[in-house]
Amino acid sequence: MATDRYPRLYHKIEAALQDRTKSDLLRGCMKRGRDTRAAALEALPGGASFRDDVRAAKERCIENLPRLKQQFIERARQRGAIVHEAATGAEAIAYCLDLARRRGARTIAKSKSLTTEEIDLNHPLIEAGVEVVETDLGELIIQLAGEKPFHLVFPSIHKMAPDVAEIFSRVTGTEVPNDIPAIMKVVRQYLRPIFLNADIGLTGANVGIAETGGICIETNEGNARLVSSLGSCHICLIGMEKIVETVEDALLMILAHPVSASGQLPTNYVTWMHGRSPLGEGPTGDDRESHIIILDNGRSAMRDDPEMREALYCIRCGACMNICPTYGVVGGHTFGHIYPGPMGICWTAGVHGLEVAGDFAQLCISCGLCKEICPAQINMPQMIAEIKHRDAAATGHLLVNRVMMGADRAARLGSATAPLANLALASRPIRQLLEKTIGLAAERRLPPFAFSTFMNRFAKRVSRVATPRRTVVFFVDVYANHNNPDLGLAAVDALEALGCAVIVPNQDVSGYPYIAYGGMDQARRIARSNSDKLAPWVRKGYEVVAIEPTATYALAVSYPNLLRGDENARLLADHTHELFEFLIEQEDETGFHPPADLFAGRRFGFHCACHQRPLGGGSGAIKWLRRRGAQVELIETGTCCGMGGTFGLKGGLLGYDLSRAVGQPLFDLFVNSGVEAIVTESSVCSIQLAEGTAMKVYHPLELLTLR
Amino acid sequence: MDFDFTSRFEKLSGIVHRVASPAAAAEKVAQLCRERQAGCLALAGLEPELTAAIEACCPAITVLKEPYSRADLPAAIDRATVGVTGMAFAIAQSGTMVEVSVNDATRLVSSLPRTHIGVVREETIIDHYADSGPLIRAIIDSHPEQVVISFISGPSRTGDIELKLTLGVHGPEEAHCIIIAAPA
Ligand code: SF4
Ligand code: SF4
Repeated sequence: MATDRYPRLYHKIEAALQDRTKSDLLRGCMKRGRDTRAAALEALPGGASFRDDVRAAKERCIENLPRLKQQFIERARQRGAIVHEAATGAEAIAYCLDLARRRGARTIAKSKSLTTEEIDLNHPLIEAGVEVVETDLGELIIQLAGEKPFHLVFPSIHKMAPDVAEIFSRVTGTEVPNDIPAIMKVVRQYLRPIFLNADIGLTGANVGIAETGGICIETNEGNARLVSSLGSCHICLIGMEKIVETVEDALLMILAHPVSASGQLPTNYVTWMHGRSPLGEGPTGDDRESHIIILDNGRSAMRDDPEMREALYCIRCGACMNICPTYGVVGGHTFGHIYPGPMGICWTAGVHGLEVAGDFAQLCISCGLCKEICPAQINMPQMIAEIKHRDAAATGHLLVNRVMMGADRAARLGSATAPLANLALASRPIRQLLEKTIGLAAERRLPPFAFSTFMNRFAKRVSRVATPRRTVVFFVDVYANHNNPDLGLAAVDALEALGCAVIVPNQDVSGYPYIAYGGMDQARRIARSNSDKLAPWVRKGYEVVAIEPTATYALAVSYPNLLRGDENARLLADHTHELFEFLIEQEDETGFHPPADLFAGRRFGFHCACHQRPLGGGSGAIKWLRRRGAQVELIETGTCCGMGGTFGLKGGLLGYDLSRAVGQPLFDLFVNSGVEAIVTESSVCSIQLAEGTAMKVYHPLELLTLR
Repeated sequence: MDFDFTSRFEKLSGIVHRVASPAAAAEKVAQLCRERQAGCLALAGLEPELTAAIEACCPAITVLKEPYSRADLPAAIDRATVGVTGMAFAIAQSGTMVEVSVNDATRLVSSLPRTHIGVVREETIIDHYADSGPLIRAIIDSHPEQVVISFISGPSRTGDIELKLTLGVHGPEEAHCIIIAAPA
């Protein structure tokens, strides 16, 4: 287990990195999912605000789940359905086996259901002599190929038309031409007798409605309609978290799901089933049966665990998989167990165990993007951090992750011994040794340490504001303090030029690396310490301004989540600003007009760091540059540059190599964009982009001095 | 109205026909059957007059209609080339026809044949998706036992091979909606 888990993971990553075609296909799927979603949001009245509604509805329904489940069961029974609660997967399987045996079933037609995959329902049935046929085309292709789904919404996306034609030629025994309409005809003919003769139809459900005792099933192909209306018996396996309170809740989920997955509203077919529907008129001797199995399988425990509860808000739309940068390279066969992608880490931990989740949780580079796209706004980054934390408590942290978490200490040492440390970092043999011993990628060109830190220099500096309009608390973090004090001081100059007095009170580093690698005790300690140190200044009416996007994100987003209910953390979060957003505000307030031709004739490509997205997407910096006459284009792939904070500083497959593969499409965009240089506010993204593109990369403030 | 049902349904690869009366709707059904050289037509969930009118318009075609005997289902309906079902209402914003069935024969009529035609009364088209809640609740509440509501927004579609949109993998590859104009 723990001893060979990483070699196994490395092996899979290596294979995935070599299979370019697959990752290109996967990225194509993901991009299409994101683009169609974005287009749908444009057309949707209220745009992305439905996420707030979904979040609120899920919070309410999961809070009241025991009551709603009881109500659902009562109503469904009143309507003639047979309801069974299964505490475990084994119980659900036993129920289905028993039912199949009692009914003498030989064939079960199935429509796509992740919940049946979760408990691996097919195999025991097949072993018991029942033929189980997937009817969703993608799932059928995968089943006939003997493989596992590659993508949640498009499970067989790695199979091209010729592959599919070959599969159906094999199973039908006749040559299937290799074009899609012809394949469809064959599929239709192949499945029709199965639909007509299946003894049992087996489906999942996307929603259960407590108010009515009904279930909703969504498909585009219409296979679930057939599966649930043909056989003399229908089994629905539903995860208990799918139960909502009202018809309106159901309508919301039915909308949020396809909008987030593929930009549809709603899927082509939505079936709201209530009771056992009879088939045709006639003597009632052979009444149809409708069985609903409500599955727990770890869900109650997730609900009781404050760190994991949010996972139950998941509506399985797959949007998080459409944005996760590392998933986009390695795919669901590496980044997942049964449940793939970001939510796969959380759900695997909940239903298949911490250890299984820990096998691939390290693929999360904590970019935070999954949370931003999730219709239920699930805080997966933090949940995954918690999983890494618990996993490490059982098996220990990887050495290299310990090193990265302690980067601030190393930086302190680096500054103190700057000439020597810089020499060492510039030396190939030493870098190779460092990669071997602590895992720091030898290929990375790291910024040198400054001998005199920002803190030292700021302490000796005299303020230039005689009568301050307001006072700003400056949050420095590691890079500006230890590597680039000039940048920190330029930020202070810019603030002072707008009449803001700047103070740099006692503070710790942001601590984000602890979150990224799952050092949750330290992360909480730092969050508390910074909140306690800085909140008193906020109470005096001062605003906090941070220069590094990840540090700003830590203060403004992570701390209140780490310290739920902590007033200082909340206060600090509400008053933390990105530097440029704040500068623009001050310019507007004071009516300050910068020279409009300062950067005239210059064209820059802007890179928005992932952690900046929920903070304003870099709009402050872009405005600041444009006000000074620069032409600025936001250049993005829609996911991450691959650096993932310090992830890309680590050597090897689970670091540098994967990080470069994630970044490549973005590097290409920049190189082909025709801009003269890249501008970004993130110190680590700038290392990645400079190496990946061989272009010049600047912080906006650097442009002032480097003209 | 903020939304247009026709353009939305057609964006989803459906086909809309507007007719002036139930008689014209029956004529439209007969025409669609002729064009598809249908030998067998299945009807369900329609107003009795409309069922009679369609039958009268299609003398050369085997017409299956309610009550369907459980003895020969689902095979009987599988023989039909065209299936016609009545719709309780429709939603313009999402291009959705809403079918209500208390007997799964209705669902088979709209899901087994290659061509499905839904019949919608113009006055039952609602504008916003979110406004369908009370209507759905009323339908469910008026059936204390079984009832199945089906949202149908275009034909059966898949993108499972190379992400290319392909119609009719299982159910109908053509979805028509005949809208009977509201009486003036
Ligand atoms: S935080 Fe980023 S890397 Fe981690 S799971 Fe979410 S999207 Fe993937
Ligand atoms: S976690 Fe959120 S984005 Fe991911 S599948 Fe679930 S609901 Fe969708």
